[in-house]
Amino acid sequence: MKIQYGLISCDSHAQLHKDAWTSRMSKAKFGDNIPQIRETTDKAHMIRASDKPVERWFVHGKVVGERGTVNCPTVMNDPERKTFPQRWEEVPSLVYDPVERLKALDRDGVDGEVLFPNDPVQSSTFFQGDAEFELACVRAYNDGLAEWREVSDRYVPLAILPYLSGVEAAAEEARRAVKKGHRGITMLAEPSRTRPGLKHFNDTWWDPLWATCQDLGVPIHWHSGAGLRLAIPRWKGYTPNQGQAMGPAGNFSTQAQFIPNLIFSGVLDRFPKLKWVCAETGVGWVNYILETCDHEWERRHLWTQGILTRPSELFKRQIYVDFWYERAGIELRHLIGMDNIMWESDFPHSTSTYPESRQFVERTLKGVPENERKQLLYGNAMRVYGLA
Amino acid sequence: MELKYGFISADDHVQEHPEVWTGRMSKAKWGDRIPHVERQADGTERWMVDGQKVDLPGVALAGAAMPDRAQEPQRWEEVPGIAYKPGERLTAMDVDGVDYSVLYPSVAGRAGETFGRLTDAALELACVQAYNDWLIEEWAAVSPRFIPQCIVPLAPIEATVNEIKRAVAKGHRGVVMPSVPMMLREVPHINEAVYDPVWATCQELDVPLCFHSGASRDFQFPPYAGFSPEIAAAMEAITRPVSTVLVVANFLYSKILDRFPRLKVVFAETSLAWGAYELELADHQFERQRLQSEGYEVSPSVLFKRQCHLVGWYDSTGLKTRHHIGLNNLLWSTNFPQATSTWPESQQTIARCFEGIPENERRQVLVDNAARLYKVGRAN
Repeated sequence: MKIQYGLISCDSHAQLHKDAWTSRMSKAKFGDNIPQIRETTDKAHMIRASDKPVERWFVHGKVVGERGTVNCPTVMNDPERKTFPQRWEEVPSLVYDPVERLKALDRDGVDGEVLFPNDPVQSSTFFQGDAEFELACVRAYNDGLAEWREVSDRYVPLAILPYLSGVEAAAEEARRAVKKGHRGITMLAEPSRTRPGLKHFNDTWWDPLWATCQDLGVPIHWHSGAGLRLAIPRWKGYTPNQGQAMGPAGNFSTQAQFIPNLIFSGVLDRFPKLKWVCAETGVGWVNYILETCDHEWERRHLWTQGILTRPSELFKRQIYVDFWYERAGIELRHLIGMDNIMWESDFPHSTSTYPESRQFVERTLKGVPENERKQLLYGNAMRVYGLA
Repeated sequence: MELKYGFISADDHVQEHPEVWTGRMSKAKWGDRIPHVERQADGTERWMVDGQKVDLPGVALAGAAMPDRAQEPQRWEEVPGIAYKPGERLTAMDVDGVDYSVLYPSVAGRAGETFGRLTDAALELACVQAYNDWLIEEWAAVSPRFIPQCIVPLAPIEATVNEIKRAVAKGHRGVVMPSVPMMLREVPHINEAVYDPVWATCQELDVPLCFHSGASRDFQFPPYAGFSPEIAAAMEAITRPVSTVLVVANFLYSKILDRFPRLKVVFAETSLAWGAYELELADHQFERQRLQSEGYEVSPSVLFKRQCHLVGWYDSTGLKTRHHIGLNNLLWSTNFPQATSTWPESQQTIARCFEGIPENERRQVLVDNAARLYKVGRAN
């Protein structure tokens, strides 16, 4: 990737075209279950009730996403960021057309972006049907997104995985996707909590997948809550925007709870070269993980329990986190690890810094020396994803 | 206020002894529903209330005072005196360099949540009152170095308000309330206006409202079943403080603090490490979601600095962000006698964590903020 602006977003969301699945999956086999956009007048499918019919994604006949057709409030020309497109024709093409999208990157001064899914791929899963359906949906997604990489090497695509066909099938899909141009996989943080019946993350049953990713040299990603939602009941008195404002706090509380589990799970010791990228984390709380894991490890003598490496060392060796707007966290960068922090824009979601990413960067990194800026804004990303 | 060591520990736990409730509640009226210690089939002992086992890893929470920190006492005879005898506790405080100790419960719940799970409001009130009476009679009466805080019944709201008034009149200096009553039993969401009389009473009486972490396990990531008990306990100690992030976020957006601008809130056993990020995030989201147009008077971080407090006990990085969180908003503790406690090396921990911090700022966090909140050394 050529660096022109000095900025790589390590968490952006690729919206595939509305025909991405219908054009790739067998109509004879899957019929109307194929992920597609359909019109609906059912008010249960709308967060803001409307008398006009709206369009929604349907996967295996089930609606995905009640806010709108696509999650892209940043590009809807609404300064309040309350508008979600309600029909496909309202979705700006720069969200789903990889050629048009390059113009948005240029406008925002971003060289490249690591691509996580957008609608209707929720929590990187297709659990709506059976194993065969899931695998077909996953492959169609990974194939569709791989084509973006053919358009431009400014895109760094991440593959999603099938869960219902066994761990070997998941590893095989990772291999297939990486061959097609994917640079990592994104998955659930604790599969058995999202889908009862799957194995717990800590179970060695998953080892073949970890071994495959380590061999391929591609990082594993957990985006935001990664399918987990530790939450307190949402108050019904909140407006949609108040509810949305609360969301990311839940994400970081959740991440701050499952990353320590990764640290104590033994996986990092068994796979010492495997990288774990935790996206949409923020960094200003990551010091909590490092200090609290070390504190409890020391207080309780956990080396007697098989946790041989100091938790903060494991983190620095193998775990990566992202920032996008904060200042206090940047002041703690040396404590967290200069090699472990990457920048993100979260385009085109509501929290995104687009189209003012440069201003956010200047405000956030005020006073940070040039060599450190480069490292945080794109250097670490180039190393982690092998983009040199 | 007499200071020998220069440290008010803002979050410690009393250990209730087996007669706290049986000695104060009518056996004729409540029978075996009274909280009591019961021998299990395997020889261990557990607290029981209303036929249910109290959610504790042993018969007491005293890991820091045990020969092996990873082992909680399983029989009452193993519980060290410094956990439940106020006289011995004072000695333990001297060993650790603690002048005053703000007291939270253990059996009644780290966050005062145990009796909130009872469905019988009359039993709940009786249990709560017995605890509140006991803490004054057996702890506060022994030494002014103990700063007692009352627990509350969750419903009906008149009972909550009356108990706060009664307890504060008896000498309680803070109000410990579970942050998520709606997760404990069928009561309204904490943001509902039905709780306003509670907030108004705390504001009026000028006593801090204290939300301790761990009010419910339902927003904590459960430890893997394959972990050893020691690692599982460590995981709970790690997930519990940061679960409060959700409570703080909700409180900052709830407008409760807008409605009660003189209400003081303490989020206990949180650590300070994530505070700066939580405030930046809350402000960022407030701005990105354009909440200025939704009836808030000030931004979340301004509300926090005006009214809220976090409590740390080992984290040095949280102190590095002290000016982002607000110097007035930080408290320190030993967390005695939980296994995570810095006891008996709290002074060394403080020396390490406060290294390079100016003396006046250090005093603010270790003494002044807690002294102001709890009116230490002043008549009630």
